[in-house]
Amino acid sequence: MKSLIIDQLKQKLGNRATDSQFESSLYSRDLAPVPNLLVNPLFNTAADLVVRPIDTAEVAEILKISWDNDIPVTPRAGASTVYFDSVPIKGGIVMDLNLLKGIVALDESGMMVTVKAGTTWSELEKYLNGKGFALRSFPSSAPVASIGGWFCMMGYGIGSIKYGSLLSQVKAIELVLPNGEVKQLTSDSDIPLDYLAGSEGTLGVVTQLQVHVRKLTSMKHYLLKVKEPDLSRVVNHIQGERMVPYNIHFSDQKYNAVMNKLGFVADEFTGSCTVAVDYEGSEDDLKAADAVISEMMSGDFEVELAEEKDANQEWKEKFLALRLKRGGPSQLGGEVWLPINNLNHYLDTIKEMDKKYTLGLVSYGHVATAEHAVVMTAFFADERKTIDYVLKLSMVKKIQDIGHRYGGKPYGIGLWNTPYIGYIFDNSQLAELRARKKELDPKGIMNPGKVYRPPLLLNSFNFKVAMNILAAVSRAVGRGNRRV
Amino acid sequence: MSEDKSLFTTLEEEALICGRCGSCRSDCPVYNVIGWESSAPRGKISKAKDIFSKGKQVEISDEFIERIAQCTLCGACSSVCSAGIDTRNLWLAIRKRIADEGRAPEAYKKLRDTLLQNRNISSFSNDDRLEWAEDLDDEPEGLELKAGAEVCYFVGCVSSFYPQAAQVPITIVEILMKADVDFTTMGGEEWCCGYPLLSAGFVDDRKPFIEHNVAKIKELDIHTLIASCATCYHFWKHDCSPELEGYDLEILHATEYLARLIEEGRIELNELDEVVTYHDPCDLGRNSGVYDAPRSIINSIPGVQFIEMGHSRADSLCCGGGGNLQSVDPDLAAKISDLRVKEIKETGASIIVSACQQCEQMLSAGVRNAGLPIRVMDISELILEAMD
Repeated sequence: MKSLIIDQLKQKLGNRATDSQFESSLYSRDLAPVPNLLVNPLFNTAADLVVRPIDTAEVAEILKISWDNDIPVTPRAGASTVYFDSVPIKGGIVMDLNLLKGIVALDESGMMVTVKAGTTWSELEKYLNGKGFALRSFPSSAPVASIGGWFCMMGYGIGSIKYGSLLSQVKAIELVLPNGEVKQLTSDSDIPLDYLAGSEGTLGVVTQLQVHVRKLTSMKHYLLKVKEPDLSRVVNHIQGERMVPYNIHFSDQKYNAVMNKLGFVADEFTGSCTVAVDYEGSEDDLKAADAVISEMMSGDFEVELAEEKDANQEWKEKFLALRLKRGGPSQLGGEVWLPINNLNHYLDTIKEMDKKYTLGLVSYGHVATAEHAVVMTAFFADERKTIDYVLKLSMVKKIQDIGHRYGGKPYGIGLWNTPYIGYIFDNSQLAELRARKKELDPKGIMNPGKVYRPPLLLNSFNFKVAMNILAAVSRAVGRGNRRV
Repeated sequence: MSEDKSLFTTLEEEALICGRCGSCRSDCPVYNVIGWESSAPRGKISKAKDIFSKGKQVEISDEFIERIAQCTLCGACSSVCSAGIDTRNLWLAIRKRIADEGRAPEAYKKLRDTLLQNRNISSFSNDDRLEWAEDLDDEPEGLELKAGAEVCYFVGCVSSFYPQAAQVPITIVEILMKADVDFTTMGGEEWCCGYPLLSAGFVDDRKPFIEHNVAKIKELDIHTLIASCATCYHFWKHDCSPELEGYDLEILHATEYLARLIEEGRIELNELDEVVTYHDPCDLGRNSGVYDAPRSIINSIPGVQFIEMGHSRADSLCCGGGGNLQSVDPDLAAKISDLRVKEIKETGASIIVSACQQCEQMLSAGVRNAGLPIRVMDISELILEAMD
């Protein structure tokens, strides 16, 4: 990168730009614990410059300079994903968007909030609650995930089953194109809004959004102990009832056993799966919800209702998923967008896989739509034991393959899921996405290397061969371990 | 899971457990001022992992030491950590490693020298501990070292030696006298509680301080100790357990004891026509779980309209004055305080009350700099005003 440009931007932004190695190294990773030996030979994750623009005009100016000088730009806010979505792989500029923060306007009668893209979901929820409103949905990483960031991902999380994807809740966005041009996008604009949903920072920088909100209502929480064979049926039944839940979260039996061992789940939950069901609405709605649960309890389901305090606690702890990692210290896994009808088939096959590789697989997830759930299947590892850790990384592909067998696909793409691009999109979808990229970012400066195609060394064939070899070694090593 | 139980294991393990999710970031007052990842808890832990957790410890950089010192130990990151990491203990463990290597910031080293020499954080002789009592209208009998007193008031270094905080012990003593409480203080035998040494990383040096204070309490046959300093209270409550094992000592913050006196009818409160908001000191609220006593006191004063700030109780914002931050980066401490002052302003309160002399100092400066017509008071001062 031209040192002149670095100096120019440093001078312009003052203490909001840095090329310090101490600082920029923290912008070269997200949550993914991928060892340096796998990353560094393939990618340049070191930013030449990290900048923190304060408003849309500065974002536009930085992008214009980058565009004119062919400098890659990687936007970043919460950086709470695991696929390197917000990690540069070709150096260049990392644009930290966390200063684009705050509420611009609340239209109470129109039930619409205009918010800057770097605001976190928890910050927006707190603001809205104070005004008698609430978010329709939010990610399970709400304390750190930004409004703009989640929009640029797939945008399914807590509340989506009732209120749909984030895309369906956003009326308009302000977008800075890679060439620095500022655009207002709606569903009817020249560049339609839906281009940006799921674009993962590859088409421009979203700086502001108009989001539909709901009235703040009361909630009622239920926690069900479910026998494993009935998990799919119970989840399907609840989400298909006339009173649509706000959220359904489930954990398999092994997850509960591990969390019990770690001191986070009571003994009474260890012999079953759990399904947490959360409703929101009017008093009548909550009565209807109560009736749904009561009817189910008297039906032929293998299910037991936990105490209210446990259900409330489950909701309160909805952002504490990483407590599982205390069993690690490292945790690997695959997140799968899976048809609910196949949840049991998936979990059964995961069990088979576990027998084969003795990984101690645990699964949990939430219902995202009437048809789909997002399921995380995870296992422990120790990143200090590099060889064993690399071998275990191959198991992530096995998990995705099982998901694919049951109609699933990876949730999110970034860099690390590009080898699965064929699982995620069919050829016409992929052609359409690539055409959009070419239209909006013909120079390819925005978050290069993500989403559209795997880098050469990660192409599907190479990836498959490498992962299968690693898996075979892992299995052999695992057998050896068992013999010991 | 018990909310009070720390899951802390070792620095090395906890740094590995951190998943860099960043839930800690938005609540961190230091990150909210500085804004760079290296100032956020997850950034610091990420660096700590590289240094300490990968087998052989690598060199600790000056930048890392600076960032570790830029922390108020407010505990906000602990309370939201999605992996259940007791980050407050983690920061203390890192500071200890830095101090063990002789790399502690110069300000910490000076603080340590002062403490080891004077037994308090000031440049004054420890014999002057009760100098503030000269401003009392009537000095009570037994103010110093009265054996068998019902209550011993642990004054704390800041209130004992810094004139701007001297009003706190004066007020507390006047209230105790009016309520006919049989009380005493440790006078010149009160040594610093030891927290400043712990928080600077000189963990072993705090031990003689604890041993001395506990020995004096036992010698005086004291069974109820009250502290008006939130940090002294937290330290007595959480860090002196081994030395106090087997000895019956009730440790209360002044707000808990004063609330009890009000409930028992030993303090009578008159009407005050004021709008009051309350700032939870981190070491009293989030780190010790005392939220209700101060609110109960404020709400028991007739005529007072109490308004909570945008962030309160466990969610409260730090004043910027904790964790020895002022000694290494006073400018950062002041900017953190400004964030809290902004929230105070939004309440429209005429009085901001707290229960920690350090918070009150920080907020007084912040309110003054912002030119706000708001009185900053210790909760004891509010009580005394309502008693007069």
